[in-house]
Amino acid sequence: MNVADIINPANLVYKKNTVMNEVPMHYCPGCSHGVVHKIIGEIIEEMGVQEKTIAIAPVGCAVFAYKYLDVDWQQAAHGRAPALATAIKRLLPDRLVFTYQGDGDLAAIGTAETIHACNRGENIAIIFINNGIYGMTGGQMAPTTLAGMKTSTTPNGRDVPLAGNPLNITDLLAKLDGVCYVTRQAVHTVAGVKKAKRAIQHAFENSMQNKGTSIVEVVSTCNAGWKMTPADANDWMVENMFPVFPMGDLKNE
Amino acid sequence: MKKENKENEVRLMKGNEAIAHAAIRCGCDGYFGYPITPQSEILETLMEVEPWHTTGMVVLQAESETASINMVYGAAGCGKKAMTSSSSPGVSLMQEGISYMAGAELPCVVVNVMRGGPGLGTIQPSQADYFQTVKGGGHGDYKVITLAPASVQEMADFVGKAFDLAFKYRTPTFILADGVIGQMMEKVVLPPFKPRWTEEEIIAVAPWATLGKPAHRKPNVINSLRLEAWEMEELNLVLQGRYREIEKNEVLFEEINCEDANYILVAFGISARICQKTSELARAEGLKVGLIRPITLYPFPTEQIKKRAEQVKGMLSVELSAGQMVEDVRLAVNGKIPVEFYGRMGGIVPTPDEVLQALKDKLISKN
Repeated sequence: MNVADIINPANLVYKKNTVMNEVPMHYCPGCSHGVVHKIIGEIIEEMGVQEKTIAIAPVGCAVFAYKYLDVDWQQAAHGRAPALATAIKRLLPDRLVFTYQGDGDLAAIGTAETIHACNRGENIAIIFINNGIYGMTGGQMAPTTLAGMKTSTTPNGRDVPLAGNPLNITDLLAKLDGVCYVTRQAVHTVAGVKKAKRAIQHAFENSMQNKGTSIVEVVSTCNAGWKMTPADANDWMVENMFPVFPMGDLKNE
Repeated sequence: MKKENKENEVRLMKGNEAIAHAAIRCGCDGYFGYPITPQSEILETLMEVEPWHTTGMVVLQAESETASINMVYGAAGCGKKAMTSSSSPGVSLMQEGISYMAGAELPCVVVNVMRGGPGLGTIQPSQADYFQTVKGGGHGDYKVITLAPASVQEMADFVGKAFDLAFKYRTPTFILADGVIGQMMEKVVLPPFKPRWTEEEIIAVAPWATLGKPAHRKPNVINSLRLEAWEMEELNLVLQGRYREIEKNEVLFEEINCEDANYILVAFGISARICQKTSELARAEGLKVGLIRPITLYPFPTEQIKKRAEQVKGMLSVELSAGQMVEDVRLAVNGKIPVEFYGRMGGIVPTPDEVLQALKDKLISKN
């Protein structure tokens, strides 16, 4: 008996999108990256823009994003994805151009590229995964690490006088005139996944319609880096991350 | 929008302006740059000519040299002819991006109109970025093809040539000029207009370009990451193989008064122009002095210098630095004859007499 025999088409409630590749993912079980990748694959399939998509991968856990989605990719140096996207979209204005970046990439080393691409109103979408930690390098402090949060470089918790405050960069970006859409989402519940999908689709439509820069921040878990079970990480995120990074639209023009 | 001039018209302009006009004419798709003296005229000229109205070329003032080179990376990844320009401190900032482009096998043109360093240095001319350019610059084992113009005409001619080489070998290619060549005005005939590539032409030349994935092919991925050691070595072997091809095929140099020479000056860029005069002054005194001008600094004209070492009594490398290219001259000569160095630093440009005196003091008087 094979899969097709078991699944009666009449009973089929879920089908994997065709943009995602049939390869094992390196992401840890419970991490938000996999869900966001899946959403992006679904949107690209539903919008019918696979042939028009050029995606930019960051440095960080999502450096391997090009393995998972069946579209053309460029892998950027740490933090430089918005600079790449700027040139690509200006030279190919009818394409869907999006970057996929973590908090270290977007809000620390790439702050200048992020702010200036947004300020110029580049017609790109930025998917911003904020899990408050450097996952790939083994759990060091990120610009968005919460005050008091333990990481491998803040073993006693982020000490604000020593290490500064968590950077709420999305609030800053929403103030820029070039930016048309800023929203903060999370994918820890079914309802959250559905809302995040609508948000990313809106951002992609803005890019295709050349309406300006769109930023979708996905407040995310890094259960391995946070040293929690996936379920505990979801609870911890709601309790501790959401008050600092509140859900919802910051701008929608 | 200013009207471009007619074909074959002789014009008077700065080296930097010639670079800008040549970029438009050779079908460049995108220029991304950040102002820095002594090369800001490149960006200024492009902004004045507004080529986006004529050829569709994109011109953008970036927020930094770091952003500029990464914009070039993005454009090059789409198979577009992309370039940037800067001067020494700005080119230092670009080294990360240049290393990534070498690793991702991306073609581009980078113009460095060198000024004195280290640090913020001076806006006066220099050739002290020779090591940075031909010995690496960024991290990892890579080389960049380096063209060294010695006139405003060569500034104009080398832009299209640099793009041809960059795409032929999928590598960043440098035009390494100095502040004098960038700033001085000379007569120049600009290259004829070539249209920008269509997307069909890009796909033919650069099948690896990320233009969006049609259903019939696998995704194109522009990437320098290889986590598996054997894969990383494999990429390095591909690059090294390409560098050997470049060394075999692309060496360019000019020889002046070398056939009967007893002594040879080796110099590039503005130093070569000065040494040409030195050779004339020497010959007026009965001294048979020639000049080898490397046009490509990488690949270096090693074989030709080695050949001339069989004939002459000594060579003098003349540079606006503390002595950088002289090391490559010595490696080529391999101890056969004395190789001495004369240079000025900090933006001081020597006179032809000064070079002749140095040649006498360091070589001729010792024979």
